[in-house]
Amino acid sequence: MFKTAASRLRALKGRTSTFNRGVARFSSLNDVATKPPSSSPFGVLFGWLTGGKSRSMPPLDFPLSGIKLPPALPDYVQPVEPKITTLPNGVKIASLKSEKPAASVGLYVNCGSVYETPESSGATHLLEHMAFKSTRNRSHLRIVREVEAIGGNVQASASREQMAYTFNALKTYVPEMVELLIDCVRNPVFLDWEINEELQKVKHNISEASTNPEALVLEAVHSVGYKGGLANPLLAPESSISRLNSNVLEEFLSENYTAPRMVLAAYGVEHEELLKIAEPLLSDLPNVPPAKEPKSVYTGGDYRGLGDSGETHFALAFELPGGWLNEKDAMIVNVLQVLMGGGGSFSAGGPGKGMHSRLYSRVLNQHLELHSISAFSSIYNNTGIFGIQAATGSDFVTKAIDIAANELIAIATPGEVDQVQLDRAKKSTKSSILMNLESRMVVADDLGRQILTYNDWKLSQLLKAVDEVSLGDIASIGQKLLSSPLTMASYGDVTKVPSYDSVSKKFHLK
Amino acid sequence: MAMKHLLTTIARRRPHRPPAALTVAVRSSSTSPAVAESPLAPSLPSPPPPSAMIYDRLAEDVKSKIRRLENPDPRFLKYGSPHPSIADHTHILTAPETRVTTLPNGLRVATESNLAAQTATVGVWIDAGSRFENDATNGTAHFLEHMIFKGTDQRSARQLEEEVENMGGHLNAYTSREQTTYYAKVLQSDVPKALSILADILQNSKFDDNRILREREVILREMEEVEKQPDEVIFDHLHATAFQYSPLARTILGPANNIKTISKEHLQSYIKTHYTAPRMVIAASGAVRHEDIVETVKGLFTKLSGDPTTASQLVAKEPSFFTGSEVRMFDSDLPLAHFAVAFNGASWTDPDSIPLMVMQAMLGSWNKNAGGGKHMGSELAQRVAINDIADSYMAFNTNYKDTGLFGVFATAKPDCLDDLAYSIMYEITKLVYRVSEADVIRARNQLKSSLLLHLDGTSAVAEDIGRQLLTYGRRIPLAELFARIDAVNASTIKRVANRFIYDRDIAIASMGPVGELPDYNWFRRRTYWNRY
Repeated sequence: MFKTAASRLRALKGRTSTFNRGVARFSSLNDVATKPPSSSPFGVLFGWLTGGKSRSMPPLDFPLSGIKLPPALPDYVQPVEPKITTLPNGVKIASLKSEKPAASVGLYVNCGSVYETPESSGATHLLEHMAFKSTRNRSHLRIVREVEAIGGNVQASASREQMAYTFNALKTYVPEMVELLIDCVRNPVFLDWEINEELQKVKHNISEASTNPEALVLEAVHSVGYKGGLANPLLAPESSISRLNSNVLEEFLSENYTAPRMVLAAYGVEHEELLKIAEPLLSDLPNVPPAKEPKSVYTGGDYRGLGDSGETHFALAFELPGGWLNEKDAMIVNVLQVLMGGGGSFSAGGPGKGMHSRLYSRVLNQHLELHSISAFSSIYNNTGIFGIQAATGSDFVTKAIDIAANELIAIATPGEVDQVQLDRAKKSTKSSILMNLESRMVVADDLGRQILTYNDWKLSQLLKAVDEVSLGDIASIGQKLLSSPLTMASYGDVTKVPSYDSVSKKFHLK
Repeated sequence: MAMKHLLTTIARRRPHRPPAALTVAVRSSSTSPAVAESPLAPSLPSPPPPSAMIYDRLAEDVKSKIRRLENPDPRFLKYGSPHPSIADHTHILTAPETRVTTLPNGLRVATESNLAAQTATVGVWIDAGSRFENDATNGTAHFLEHMIFKGTDQRSARQLEEEVENMGGHLNAYTSREQTTYYAKVLQSDVPKALSILADILQNSKFDDNRILREREVILREMEEVEKQPDEVIFDHLHATAFQYSPLARTILGPANNIKTISKEHLQSYIKTHYTAPRMVIAASGAVRHEDIVETVKGLFTKLSGDPTTASQLVAKEPSFFTGSEVRMFDSDLPLAHFAVAFNGASWTDPDSIPLMVMQAMLGSWNKNAGGGKHMGSELAQRVAINDIADSYMAFNTNYKDTGLFGVFATAKPDCLDDLAYSIMYEITKLVYRVSEADVIRARNQLKSSLLLHLDGTSAVAEDIGRQLLTYGRRIPLAELFARIDAVNASTIKRVANRFIYDRDIAIASMGPVGELPDYNWFRRRTYWNRY
């Protein structure tokens, strides 16, 4: 009771101070306004009846007088390197200074569906939904209103190996952002009614995802291609979702959200300032030795799902051993993906969207029966998957799989890819990395995720690796990929999809 | 201070009192005397006696969880406050200077440099769009956008595509009712090349007849795609009804009949009349130097017409006017109903367009997956979320040269339409009568940050420069924009709402199972209250 009284009092204080500041603001406006607004209570109360006060601002095409403009930035601002601090308990805090007016702060955790056990299957997906709900210190209402009060936006995303919680707002509000972000990740209480509400949404999401064949095929590639952590579905089936409750989430959180597995990354913040705010909030996390990442073994396999869409979606995929930790191979595969490219047969894209990539010029422009075909890659810390996925009418499936297999064999054959294609792919890869990094959100995200993987920001090394890719690299990575067992997944009208063995034989003739 | 101290000590002492244990004791003694020794148990929640009913156990479980909310850690509550307040952002609003040069032929070149960047966006923003067409040529502006990448005197379409792809660049274009844009996003070293490509396609496009035939099919197919998107359809129909018999009523794509008849001559005459130097802005941002861009542009854009007619003159000749009206496309086969209600809004330069933006932020937007749920500050969002009467809604505020549209677009199940329509009209009209200062401050903060957060990357900045130069004739410094937003208070909102909403005509467009949607007069009646 005392506490409610105290909070009322605080609320009241908040109100009055806002009011005061509002008044101060108002009086300063008079210098700007051409006519002072009428101050009689009559004018305020019945302003709308009497037609209100006269217009006080000049039109937008005329500058407002009396505005103090801050000094302009010079055209050249020396770019700075990110600073990374590791706290004694293992939490890493990274920041990149910038002169831009907005800031992006993110908390990244080395945790995802690979860490799920059969009991906690679906926990990461639910955690993503339960982000920014009630904590020990803040109610959900308060969190929503705090974010709205500064006009920021918050987001959580879950993937197989990493969880990301991000907050974007004006630089002025960095303390508020950091505090709320850490509170929401560290201290959630998982109230039963909030969980139930989110479970409904999660179930809705899952049923919606089942109408997206491309995503289904990609999920299937993981679930049959791997044994172990990576086989865990990112969107768990409804049956296991229903078993989740607050106890499961809490246990999952305490096991996985440990200090050495967390990175706080910020763009647009002074490092010292960030440390000053974040350190007291993070330094008391217990220092637990990091858990071993559950092992995933690539096995290859076949998945067929009968769906009622008239077309057939399929994917052929192979393993990229090493994953992100083998930077060189990872970047070659990225170039390879751009080199093969692809897309939909009907595309409204203009020049620059890979219109002359191999799958476009060699496949889509020749075979109108294919609705779409494109190369894809999913790279993880220690392993990765590369392949081709496509959609076609069911009659054309056998032919389409032949075409896709031939394309994969072609890139593994020395002399098939020419230098012009490779140079184009390299330049496109590099420019798309640099163009993405124009965005402060992407920079903060990349900083956080790279530190989770490499303990460092390796941007320049990665760009250099792109520059160094040669024709020989492409062919040898192609051979390396094809030497692993095939993973095949199809969805839709799958009756005419050829057998796994007959497709696998195409790749392993020798 | 002393009071606060006192309160915190009391608050801190509270957990040490034994009320929890006491209640447990009382209750357990009433149920079973066998566990009467429970007051001696440790202060942690003691397990209920085995004889307790299952619901009692559940209640204990919930209580123990809620108890964890009772001791907030002050470390985590140092900065944040749920009450919106005014902060001074002047010190962070530094940006590189926007330099503008007007060439002798009237062409404007505007840049914002960040020489440390490795990428840049250059583009051409043109004061032309579907509103400057007539009924017979409606669709030309958009057709042109498609045809312009299809080859020039020096470059075939294939050469153009390969040139762009080989430098890892992107070439993009979009057409709206009043603006057409072509821009390229490239690496630092390729900026001059990108400019020469833009100059070439804008001045020397060939418009090969075969290509026109082929592109016709593409546009007709694009039209099919657009017709599948309810929001696009609703807004096209909203414009058609709200601005009926005036230029803004026309769609961007144009009617299928026009698409089938647009010819090379139409395209060329459109370029000649509308792609004139005084109506174009070359905007660049990122790794670009103003002087270099100006010099390159001078050498490249030499064939543009210098016709001094401005877009504003054309608008004055053929203004758009708002007509209260509605259009319904009844289709009970669709699962969801979509509708938009709009008032006549403000033009770009109208000073009241800023308060309208704040009002848009006050009404906000909501959808079923929004994290804020029923806790959002917007009262419309609260009504919609708590009563579960919509799948999504979004307030919109569109500006044109001489008018605008302000309103709400919503999607809902057919049986909620009545309640939803009431909530929307109630909350819009409330802006005339009852506005709280806290809501205005929150909306102002949200507006400021959404304007600023949007400027993320060189393309967004170049777009901002181009659009502002065409609409305002200058780039408004962020500090001035923020000052204008901060000048909006509750009484401004009421005055502006009185101007645009109070007893004004409205336009409604709806599609889907909209049988339960109230009629026009019902809506119109709710633009004013007969009480205060």
